[in-house]
Amino acid sequence: MNKWHELKAADLKNFLSQLADKWQVWVPYRNDGKWEFAPYDERRELEFPGSVIHVSVKQLLFPKRRPLATYDEESTWSVKSVTPGEKPRIIMGLHPCDVAGISYMDKVFLRTEHKDALYEAERKRTVLVGMLCTEMEKTCHCTDRGLAPDSAQGMDVVFTRTEDGYLFQSLSEKGAPLLESEYLRATDDKPDKKEWPHGKYEIASPEEFMEMYDDGIWHELSDICLTCGICTYECPTCVCFLVADEKFKGKGERVTVWDSCQLQSYSRMAGGHDTRKTPASRVRNRTLDKFAYSHLRYGQISCTGCGRCVMVCPLKRSFPQLGTRVTERIRNKKKMTRDATAPAKED
Amino acid sequence: MVNIELVPNPATIKEIIEESRDVKSFVLEYVEPKSMNARPGQFIEVSVQGYGEATFAVTRTAQSGKEFTISVKRIGHLTKILHRSAEGDIIGVRGPYGNSFPVSEWHGKSIVIIGGGIGLAPLRPVIDHIVEHRKEFGDLEIIFGARSPADILYKEDLKKWEQDKGVKLYTTIDVPFEGWNGRVGLVPVVVKDLAVKADDKIAVVCGPPIMIKFTVAALKELGWPHDRIYTTLEMKMQCGIGQCGRCNIGEKFICKDGPVFSLDQIPTYAL
Repeated sequence: MNKWHELKAADLKNFLSQLADKWQVWVPYRNDGKWEFAPYDERRELEFPGSVIHVSVKQLLFPKRRPLATYDEESTWSVKSVTPGEKPRIIMGLHPCDVAGISYMDKVFLRTEHKDALYEAERKRTVLVGMLCTEMEKTCHCTDRGLAPDSAQGMDVVFTRTEDGYLFQSLSEKGAPLLESEYLRATDDKPDKKEWPHGKYEIASPEEFMEMYDDGIWHELSDICLTCGICTYECPTCVCFLVADEKFKGKGERVTVWDSCQLQSYSRMAGGHDTRKTPASRVRNRTLDKFAYSHLRYGQISCTGCGRCVMVCPLKRSFPQLGTRVTERIRNKKKMTRDATAPAKED
Repeated sequence: MVNIELVPNPATIKEIIEESRDVKSFVLEYVEPKSMNARPGQFIEVSVQGYGEATFAVTRTAQSGKEFTISVKRIGHLTKILHRSAEGDIIGVRGPYGNSFPVSEWHGKSIVIIGGGIGLAPLRPVIDHIVEHRKEFGDLEIIFGARSPADILYKEDLKKWEQDKGVKLYTTIDVPFEGWNGRVGLVPVVVKDLAVKADDKIAVVCGPPIMIKFTVAALKELGWPHDRIYTTLEMKMQCGIGQCGRCNIGEKFICKDGPVFSLDQIPTYAL
């Protein structure tokens, strides 16, 4: 286990400015009341929130709109692929659920023989500096998803707030060079371990969810969902995209853009055949994808319990509630079968 | 320079073949010397600059691996643009993607190919393979259904297969048509009429979703076991490599885990 290093609160900016000489440094800033990652600016006031950063880190590794290649319309397809960024980068202040989301994206983009070269390049140049949570928002439910607010899994460097500063620990080869700074001092101090409560969104097992495919509950749930797709855009593990060719003033560009399985055009084919025409079928697809398909594909469910979908849902019904409602139905069904098959009680 | 899989390679349209009233075949060849090693059942992504990209089965590859063919039914945005293109035009191609028909596992067995309309396109390389490796397989039966005589594809191939002693070919059209003396009836009905026996055979089915559904039901009724019925499924696909998300049926991605499945590999709700 690597040693912890302490940093005095007064030295935080000096430390970050020093890092910014070698790396692009991204930290959380409050923008219009919402926390989001932005490039470090020493003139701005710096604070690391103790819980969820509202805008997911997803877009730093997998941008909303991603140019892949450009071409000249007049020419015969002289295609020029884009060159990915190479400058090393630090994203600082990630929480355990953010890192869990990145680990899921790695599975989607790097697992196959056809790796996503742009994602891979972004991932390679990025050092993940995570912060242990100090509190849970009322929307947080990572503890219902087998994660913990103080788990450092997947981080290159982990840090935590103390009364008068910060404690840092490097966890990977990639993270070690960050801590070679005169502002840091090795210490025997360690962050305190804490008990964390469960959230409000417990869910059944992937196998139990799979059994619900033909249940009527999807029609009931589609009555409380607009299928607007906002939860998919905010979700740290929703990475479905569209491949598009765009043409503007004689110049062409091939891009990927974020897409959502909640939108009607998502699965529609030429000729009009659509396998997910009804809102119920789309709500079912997303719910099962989060809690069952993802597990069957990658051995990891694709909900990190970050709670962003709870915050942004216009109907305030929110996506995890759908999972919870299905779970309730599963439990009730089981109870009914149990009651029906149980031997009658004696008087 | 990184290799971005989703960026297409330029290919020239060498030849355009008018197959039927709304289907054209395009014989393609990469501009830069590069071969297309598609196995039967695999597909490619084809794009027209500035218009977009769509998925097509590779319906034939030349022995040299240089020339490869797709058949395109005029049905949507991109296919309309493709139909307007001319020989010599350059389009974008990437692939091949997906799994393929396990033809080498079928050695020694008789094969029944059942195609509906443009669904014959992904099956033609299977037929080509069997005809080229005649000794490796038992009998070959082909049941091909088209809407009308004007919708019949691959007329020269059909003629060749009809004359091949090792091939039994049944061509049918959906409804009676003046001047048509051949078989009339929907594919699933013809399958039942012919009472296609399962024995130790392999059935390979492709066509519009509704045709697949009823043909599979007919085969099941005739006692065919699920693991000897193969089909190639279609969903809206874009990336072709199991990442963009849209072509899933349950946990499976049609583009990566498929498009070829035996019936016992498909969740029951997919059909």
